[in-house]
Amino acid sequence: MTAPRTAPVDTPDTDERAVLDQVWQVVVWNDPVNLMSYVVWVFRKLFGHPEPEATRLMLQVHHEGRAVVASGPLEKSELDCHRLHHHGLWATLERV
Amino acid sequence: MIEPFTRDGDKVVVRLSAAEIAVLEDLPELITRDRDAGGRLSYTAHPNDEAAEGRYRDLIGDDLDRLRSADRAAFATRLEAKELTLEEAEAWMRVVGEARITLAARLGIVEDGWERDAESSRDPEMALLGYLGYLQDALVGVLS
Repeated sequence: MTAPRTAPVDTPDTDERAVLDQVWQVVVWNDPVNLMSYVVWVFRKLFGHPEPEATRLMLQVHHEGRAVVASGPLEKSELDCHRLHHHGLWATLERV
Repeated sequence: MIEPFTRDGDKVVVRLSAAEIAVLEDLPELITRDRDAGGRLSYTAHPNDEAAEGRYRDLIGDDLDRLRSADRAAFATRLEAKELTLEEAEAWMRVVGEARITLAARLGIVEDGWERDAESSRDPEMALLGYLGYLQDALVGVLS
């Protein structure tokens, strides 16, 4: 009698799991070209922010040079970053 | 003054003159000629972590290029349309934005405040940058 063979499971090593389990924040940086109205629209569209919150974040980007617009696990944050890039916004990720 | 875009339910009605359409026809080529706009359209998610950036690149592959290309196709093939779906209008908005970023890179615009000089500029690319801002703002208005 033999036990059924099981395929090896590709599990992340400890360091990789630590990265995946961390909380990341999505940072949008100021740029001199994108319209304020467009940036507000993108924040509302991608993150569902109400207009006052989207406007507050846009103004923070404009006046302070950057703003955290979302946070979460790495995979979600990378998807958010990718969607911002698709809309022409300058976004990067940072560990919290 | 005729509004270039108005909303009619789930459609965007387009009112562009033949001269405006002739200008806009050149945008996809303008964008692809300066492919990354001097680096401005070459995005990184992890600028200070080479390994993380490499993994991110593996994850997204050429998806960003594919999405941008699809936006430009939606723009080019529907330029003479009288109505756009909301998705098509969003694609137009992104293409116009991409063209503005490309033009700004060519004009050496790197910080806020350039609009003051633009008003007195006779540079046709600066004029186009301003016109595209007007169009993008109008699209934001009908999509909000």
